[in-house]
Parts: sequence; structure tokens; C-alpha cells
Amino acid sequence: MMGLRRGGLIIATIGAVSLFIGAAWAHPPFCICKMANATTVSCEGGFADGTGVPGVRLDVIRYDESVVLQTKFGPDSTVSFKRPDGEFYMLFDAGPGQSFDVDYKDIQ
Amino acid sequence: MTVLASPSRGASLWQRWRFHLSALVLIAPIVFGPAWFHQNAFFDGKKGLGQREIGEIAVGPWSVRLAEFKLSEPDAEGRAGHAKEFALALCPACVDQVKAAYLRVGKPRNLRTAGALFSGTPYRQTAEMRVPERTTADDELWLTLEGWDGTLHQATIPIRTASPVMAAWLEKRGRS
Amino acid sequence: MDGTVSRKTSGARLWFVFHGWLALPIWAFLFFVCLTGSIATVSHEIMWLANPEVRANAPSSDARLLSYDEIMAAVEREEPGARVRFISRPVKSMFALNVAVTRPDGNSARLFVNPYTGAVQGEQGAFDFRRFVRALHAWLLMPFDGGFPIGWYAVSALAIPLLGSLITGIVVYKRFWRVYLRPRLRVSKGRRIFWGDLHRLAGAWSIPFIAIMAVTGGWFLIQAILGDNHISISTAGVPPVVSRSDVPAVDKGAPAPRITLEQAAEAVRHQLPDLEPSFVQFPSSAYDHISVGGRGSYPLIFESVDVNPYNGKVERTRRVSDRSALELVTGSMRPLHTGDFAGIWLKLVYLVFGLALTTLVFSGMMVWTKRTAIETVKVVRERRQARLGLEAAE
Repeated sequence: MMGLRRGGLIIATIGAVSLFIGAAWAHPPFCICKMANATTVSCEGGFADGTGVPGVRLDVIRYDESVVLQTKFGPDSTVSFKRPDGEFYMLFDAGPGQSFDVDYKDIQ
Repeated sequence: MTVLASPSRGASLWQRWRFHLSALVLIAPIVFGPAWFHQNAFFDGKKGLGQREIGEIAVGPWSVRLAEFKLSEPDAEGRAGHAKEFALALCPACVDQVKAAYLRVGKPRNLRTAGALFSGTPYRQTAEMRVPERTTADDELWLTLEGWDGTLHQATIPIRTASPVMAAWLEKRGRS
Repeated sequence: MDGTVSRKTSGARLWFVFHGWLALPIWAFLFFVCLTGSIATVSHEIMWLANPEVRANAPSSDARLLSYDEIMAAVEREEPGARVRFISRPVKSMFALNVAVTRPDGNSARLFVNPYTGAVQGEQGAFDFRRFVRALHAWLLMPFDGGFPIGWYAVSALAIPLLGSLITGIVVYKRFWRVYLRPRLRVSKGRRIFWGDLHRLAGAWSIPFIAIMAVTGGWFLIQAILGDNHISISTAGVPPVVSRSDVPAVDKGAPAPRITLEQAAEAVRHQLPDLEPSFVQFPSSAYDHISVGGRGSYPLIFESVDVNPYNGKVERTRRVSDRSALELVTGSMRPLHTGDFAGIWLKLVYLVFGLALTTLVFSGMMVWTKRTAIETVKVVRERRQARLGLEAAE
């Protein structure tokens, strides 16, 4: 709730400027991955305030750090890909401080 | 016709005051006023780094002071799950050496997965750390400091040390 | 014939009763919100009157405003080691610069800096009148823990009875426009006549203002509902961050060199020539931008530019033209509510109408406390008789 805390504080502090800052309230990102069918993983990304993530990078990386796949979220903030074998994780990466990694064990 | 006539004293008081009862809303600012001033002072750092200071933590050649920003359970963040906010102050000697500080539950695989980025000033910065679903009270927080020269240093803090409130919350969540 | 007349008066009476019941049970709360809101419109100016430290007095008539770099140097001179987070520099303002800093001990302060000399004239104390009045008006000082406070919902929900009172008031008092031609305030005909005249007078004159307050206040309610349910209508997209590869690696012991604020302002001027920058926000981390913003051609909406602090590139602009129609409408709500977008004359207009609305609420209570109850009894009785008559006819 840092965003709201800041929001209230900033509204109270600097008034009209809050309109601008309001757009930049900190909201944590998320990435939820599921098996769409037996072989396909489907991930949905976003920010807690409801902001979508079209065009944001998603990497699929093995535990040994070799990159299996570099892809991007589509206009609907989802992305699908063939599930690799073995141990891997998915990394939503919108830049420093805005990343979210999902272990293959957490695929729902 | 007798509707307006009031036989008892209580009814008469009600007749007289019923339209003014909304003035009772003013109890809210009276009750919350002191907390409002306290909270503003807190946000301005005049009540310390956070609501509960964790202590000085050595991270490689550097050290930081870490605090629970609010002495409360992790916040619900909608679909992003839960997050817990921490505050950090860099040691006076390292304010110009540390580029960034990150915090997460469990060991990061690399810098890109180092977790929540602290933001603010070197003297007081905060980060909202994600609390993954599988977190248990026995896990550790990993604090990563990145130097302007590119060096990385890490430290771990048991969740029970970092936030007893969060540890209790995790235990409660684990049982249910 | 009799029947039609009776139905008509009965209908009018029903509207009358609706109008009374809409605000009467909450009049004291509404009165408080209108009064504090009126004060809030000029709270900054009140601070200006009360505290010389917040004034921007020029040392001479031809004094030049300091550049951002000069402001930074002045702050560093007077507050060594403090980190500047934010500089608010309203264009052509009578107010001193507001510079938010964090000191090495972790304390934050807002400094009042003279825009001509760079002198730190003072700093905001624990009691910030403007902040206090706004918080009191808008959310009853309740805390923002885990979402918008109940106080925010309670205050913004007043938009509903306010809008209802406006509509029913116009229906009841169809010939309100007469007040514009022949204003009437009878002082010597008894209290009820006086308060009644005052109610009609204040109401008729503030119809547009009430409509603005009801609609914009209603938006604050919607905003809280959207926010608490994590629904975004923003087209701002993913918050921009500086990429790791843009931050130059340097030798141990010093941060990577960043551009100066004046260089950032120059990049902004180049990109958006019609923007009048009124604030600068410093990077809050090594991967954050310098944000510069202000009002552009459409005064209700702030435009902003994010500049990469290492290479000076403009990496994002948020202009009026980048926003959706919905954002333009919703983004205009707050300035329309506060009236802070056109200068002090508009604030004074808002103050006058705000006080008119406050008077309206009070006079309404004075008129209606007795009348609403009596009229309600009449309506109930009439309805019952009508129903009985109908049943008898059948």
C-alpha cells in the first residue's frame, strides 16, 4: 500500500502536482503462469494497480542460466510458449526494480 | 396528527436533535487528528527510519541500517499477492559508493532477480518486498548492494529477525 | 379539474419532501465539508499572509529568477549534504520555491527558498495549514492504511445527495432564474422568510458551482473505488526505468556523473517548447529519471517529461495529446474541484461560491427542520387518502 500512502501524502503535500505523481505511484509487478494445455505455458503479467504490460520482456531461463527463450508480453499482457524440459524459471523484466521471477514449480 | 406531538422526554430530544446527528462525524478528525500529525512526522523521518529498527547490517565493506517501515503484517496488493515494506539507510561513508540496494525473500539467482529496489535517498529509502506464496517463517531475506563500480555484496537476515510480525503472519498462513 | 390540480400539487410536494430529506439528515456533515473546502481553496494564500517565509520577495524590481542549477548550489550551500528530492517552482508566483530535501540524519524537510536570492527563508514546521485543511476536508484526517480511508468515502459520497439536492431544488423551484433578474432577500419579515430567501438566492446563484462540486466530488468516490479494487484507467503504461546499460561504471568511491538540472530542463524545452516547467523531481534511485513537469496549453492537466540522468535523453513524455479522452476528463476533475489552475482570481471565485454553498446548507437546515417534517406528514396523509379513494372507486 505504499502507493496509496504516498498518494495521500503527496496529495496533501504538493497538491496539484499529485496528478502527475499519481501516475508514478509505486505498484509492485506480478506474473502468474499456468499450463494452458499439456505442453504450453501461459503467463499473465501486470502491475498491482491494474496497469498492463504489453511489450515487456519475459525470459525463460534454465537453472544453469542458459536462456531458453526471450519473448514479450502481447497486447493483452499475456504470453504463451512451449514448456521446456528440466528446471527453469521465467523472468518478467521491466527494468531494475520491476522484475518478477516465477519458478517452474510455481506454474499452476 | 399526533405524529409530531411527543409524549416522552426522550422522544422530544430525538425530535429536536435528529437532524443534527451527522455532526457526530466530526468525532473522526478529533480522534484521528493526533495520529495524523504523528504519521506526517513519521513520513518525514522525525520518528526514526521506520516503525521498528532491525539494526545495523554489514554487507561486504559496507553497512546499512534496516527497519520495518510499518510494524504490520504484509499488505495485500491485489493480484500481486502480498508485499512488506522496509526502510534502509546507507552508512555515512558509503552514501556515494552504493548505487542500488535490493531486497527479496530467498537467494537471488542474479542481479536481475535481486528483488525490490530501494528508492528514496541514501539517507532513507524504502522498498516494497514481495512475499511469495511459498515463503515460510524460517526463510531468509537477501539484501543485495550494488556499487557504482559494479561490485555486488550480499547479506542475509532471517525473517524472524527482520520482522517478527511477518514471521507470525507466515506461520498463521502456513497452518491454514 | 380539481383532480389534476390536486395531483400536481401532490407531485410538487413530493419533490419538496425529497429535496428536504436529501440533505437534512446530513446537513451538519455537509456544512463542515463545504466550509473546510472553502477554506482549502485559499489555504496556500492564507499561509502566505501568515508567514513571510513562504513569500517570494524580489530584492529589486529587476531581479532575475535563479536557474535550477543555481537553486541547487544555494541549497547545498545552506544545507550541506542534504539530498534534494523535489523542487516546486510555480511560474510567476508570489510563493517561495518549495524544495523537498532529506538530510543526512534521515529527516525530511520542505524548505522555502527565495527564487531570486537562493536564501533558505525557513522550512515547513509540523503544522502545515494547507495540508491540514485539505486532509480535514477530504478525508477527515483518517489514515491511508491499506487503501482509501472511510473518511474519503464518506466525504466523496456526499456528491450523491449534493447532486440530488441540486436536481430536486431546480424541480421544486422552477423559476429560479427570476432571482438573477430580481434578487430578493427580505430581512424584516421574520426568520423563516429570511432564511428561505437566502436559501433560494444562494442556491440559484451557485447552480453551476454545485454541479461542478457534485460531479468532481463524485469522481473522487469513483477514484477510490477504482484504486481500492486495483483497476487502472491510466494509459501511462509500465513505469519507465533507466536501463542498466545506460549507467556508466565508474571507479570505486563516487557515483556515476549525472547531467545537471539545467541540462535536463534544456532537453525538456527542446522537446516541449510550450511547456512551462513548474516542478522537477529528482531520481529516487540510480535507475530513475529526472522528471520535469508543468502545465502546457491545456491548463487543467500537467504534462511531464522523463529525462535519463546519465545521457540526457528524453525517454518519456506525457503530454495532453498522449492521454485518452477518459483520462482528460478524469484528470480535469481535481483542478476543477479545487480551482487552482488559473491564478488567485479563480481561487477567490471558488472561495465566494464555496461560502455560498456553505450558506446554502445552513439556510436549508434553518428552513427545513420544521417544514420537511410537516410536509412529510402531509404527503403521507395525501397518499393514504388517495389510495383509499382509489380503493373506494374500485
